[in-house]
Amino acid sequence: MLKTAFLTAVTLAIAIGGGAGSVWLALDRNFGLDVITVGEWTAFPERGTPSADPYSKARFSREADLALGRAEGVTFTARVDADGNLLRRDCDYTIRGSFPAARFWTLFARDSEGVLIVPGNGRAAALHSYAMLRDGDNTISTTVSRQAAPGNWLALAGDGTFHLVLTFYDTATASGARIGDIQLPAITRVSCDG
Amino acid sequence: MGRFLVAILAGIVGAGVVHIAVLLLVPTYSERDAWSMLAERSNYYIATRLDPAGQLPLIPTLDPLFNAIACRFDLDEGVLHLHGDGDVPYWSVSVYDRSGQNIFSVNDQSNPTEGLDFVVATPRQMVELRNDLPMDFDGSVFIEADMGEGIVVVRAFTPDESWEDIVSSYLQGLTCTLR
Repeated sequence: MLKTAFLTAVTLAIAIGGGAGSVWLALDRNFGLDVITVGEWTAFPERGTPSADPYSKARFSREADLALGRAEGVTFTARVDADGNLLRRDCDYTIRGSFPAARFWTLFARDSEGVLIVPGNGRAAALHSYAMLRDGDNTISTTVSRQAAPGNWLALAGDGTFHLVLTFYDTATASGARIGDIQLPAITRVSCDG
Repeated sequence: MGRFLVAILAGIVGAGVVHIAVLLLVPTYSERDAWSMLAERSNYYIATRLDPAGQLPLIPTLDPLFNAIACRFDLDEGVLHLHGDGDVPYWSVSVYDRSGQNIFSVNDQSNPTEGLDFVVATPRQMVELRNDLPMDFDGSVFIEADMGEGIVVVRAFTPDESWEDIVSSYLQGLTCTLR
């Protein structure tokens, strides 16, 4: 009798603990079925739409967000550099490479809580493609750093990790099935303070 | 020992069932959604800035280079007319359902007419509108949405600070009316 009660308790503990815990883990780790990964950039093009997968829907319902629609744009987020290290605000990074066709794009940094990093001193918290300097071969590269840099520069401030948000507006990328084939610029770590 | 293994196996199977059940129930029991956040701020048919001056944006993913307004509506009360005059570098409109899911979106270039003039209506209301089109809907783009309550959001690109006033007054001039 006691043994049956014990076994039932084991079964229930595994079922409830494992079931609820695995959902919590999946939501916390940004697990999703319709995630698109290009290099260090990830996007959830179905996020916040009725066709999103159940994980995306569950996570979205806790965020009080209104996601960009397909005709509006698609957002890519990077938390790591090309070597797989977390992006840190005490390091300098270069973003260089090709950007997919879009009417324009914007680039900015958020802290680990998702709050926009505002560098202050009248510096812009975000860059956009209309105001970027281009190299001779029409490619774009930009520095991401706390210290001022020549050329294109996305200013950071504060300490800790951050992530980069790159959004393409009015782009066929968002609606095409070939979204996984696009090329995105690489994030390379140049140096770190200390 | 055999019974213990059975208990663990049953637990793992049960964990799968609980996982699916919890996952599907999370959206239903979530109280923090965009709708309730907007409802705290303003009533139906009132355009609300999603990026109030000097505050964090109301929705976490709003692009810092964008200004945006949101307006709650209820198609059960009647059709929604969204109208704006003026010119900004880029605008886009999205229609969301009650739970904040994006149902329809359009940007200024895929919009067939000049300016921003939309009518959101249910399929049933569309039939009535086609039979007797009000004069001022002549140049409107019709969005058919089979829903009751919803949110419409207009986003406008602000390339730099010199555009701030122009884009702000453009958004302020948008009307979101029940018809």
